[in-house]
Amino acid sequence: MAVDTLTFTIITVIYLAIIVFLGYLGYKQTKGSDDFMIAGRRINPVVLALSYGATFISTSAIVGFGGVSAMLGMGLVWLTVLCIGVGVLIAFIVFGKKTRELGKKTNALTFPDLLGKCYGSTFMQRAAGLIILFGMPLYTAAILIGGARFIETTLSIPYDTALVAFAVIVAAYVILGGLIAVMYTDALQGAIMFVGMTILLILTYTYLGGVYEANSALDAMSSMVPEALAAGGMTGWTSMPEFLSPIWLTMITTMVLGVGIGVLAQPQLAVRFMSVKDNRSIHRAVMVGGPFVLMMTGVAFTVGPLTNVWFMQTEGMLAVEAAGGNVDSVIPAFINSSMPDYFVIIFMLALLAAAMSTLSSLFHTMGTTIGHDLNVKVKDSKPSIRAIQAGTVVMIVVSTIVAYLMPGNIIARATVMFMGLCAAAFLPAFAHALYSKKPSVFAAKASLLAGAIAWFLWTAFVHSAESSVLGISQAIFGVPSVLPMPWGVVNPIVIALPVSAIVLGAALMYEKSLVDSPEEKAESS
Amino acid sequence: MFGITDPYIWMGYLLAFILTAACIAYGILNWRNGQEPEEDNNGS
Repeated sequence: MAVDTLTFTIITVIYLAIIVFLGYLGYKQTKGSDDFMIAGRRINPVVLALSYGATFISTSAIVGFGGVSAMLGMGLVWLTVLCIGVGVLIAFIVFGKKTRELGKKTNALTFPDLLGKCYGSTFMQRAAGLIILFGMPLYTAAILIGGARFIETTLSIPYDTALVAFAVIVAAYVILGGLIAVMYTDALQGAIMFVGMTILLILTYTYLGGVYEANSALDAMSSMVPEALAAGGMTGWTSMPEFLSPIWLTMITTMVLGVGIGVLAQPQLAVRFMSVKDNRSIHRAVMVGGPFVLMMTGVAFTVGPLTNVWFMQTEGMLAVEAAGGNVDSVIPAFINSSMPDYFVIIFMLALLAAAMSTLSSLFHTMGTTIGHDLNVKVKDSKPSIRAIQAGTVVMIVVSTIVAYLMPGNIIARATVMFMGLCAAAFLPAFAHALYSKKPSVFAAKASLLAGAIAWFLWTAFVHSAESSVLGISQAIFGVPSVLPMPWGVVNPIVIALPVSAIVLGAALMYEKSLVDSPEEKAESS
Repeated sequence: MFGITDPYIWMGYLLAFILTAACIAYGILNWRNGQEPEEDNNGS
């Protein structure tokens, strides 16, 4: 990196000291399991908004998707549109308020607990818990690896030490301070991310001569699109790919829809709505959440493509080429090559904050899942902080082992896979639970199972980005994808979510037909 | 618009700004709505 390691180490130590202090505040304020699991339902709206945003936006959203936008262009701005429209407006107003109301009414303490209580079904709670138990360690491992790699390169610490140290530091405040500590630290981390991304946008446009000049320069580069990308449908960095081309399908189904809709049914985000005391707090949080998500995703997807102008002007090559062909290295390479030393430190801190805020929330959610939702010793839903803390330790160890053992190409798909699975399995059943006076547990079970199975089948046998690394389709059928193009680039969420929703609707109609049948009416009369 | 010629891109930016403005407006318009009385939630 461009700055002195000692300077960055000192800043990091100060940052960690503040994190430890906030963790201590969380620890002091945690008196019971309500505090540990849902922050005592008294979190400040600004903390809610920043915590939600910082958890949602991980390092991979900034560096990974920023790098992808450097390769594919500004079309990813539509993900920003969905992140604000769906991830904030619909998530907070349509889902968030109801989640809070029902959470309080049923005294639910986790996302699976809420589903279980709304449906009066232990099956729903346990099934949701199992999906979290099997899906979330992969996602967590991806965040762990990203954070450890970042620490390894910036602080010159061996990777293994960085991985364990990173997990232990985050684990410490999650285990001791519960959700209060997680959300307080998230808020600080969110604020650092906001400052970092704001400065990044301003400096990028300043260095490139202004908004109009920079965008025009990028617009004029459309003839430089590499042949392979042009063949896939890419038309330039300031224009959308050709409609229904492989790149358009990947951009829209995997990134825009996969992440933009996937955000709605993520357990670690949904539980945050139960951490505030009234809907007024949610109303106020919307005001902070919108601008926060705009600055996180909007800046990443704008600066990413503009790095091509910078590298073309300074090194005579495109951004991905300048980054050694590695998409994930584009944003760090741009920061190191163009930005002043002080900003490199701020941005590195923002990336560390982004990784920590997501990781702490995943640790907390997995801990409450195994220590409460899947704990067969829990009687009358009485949670035990000790069991949850023990569960958190177990899941941190499992995630760290997964980070060591799982192949890198599967880990790289983990974020999108987890979001897709959550949306397909939970979203229709979750919406039904929130908005139906008498939610049908039969329909919810059918929807959850159909969504999860459809997601798995499409992931393992059709969507080549995942099926090729999982190898199941190759082993059974001898091909990575059993369907021809363009199906192989259509993300599982686009198929599995409608399947889950249709099955929910069909099951509800089936139940209604049973109730309306003459025999049933005769029996009831 | 602002150096971007493809309307599908600048419309995306425009919509992102409009939605952000909608978030802010929603917060301001509902600033006092939805308040619930104080109560002790530390049940366990």
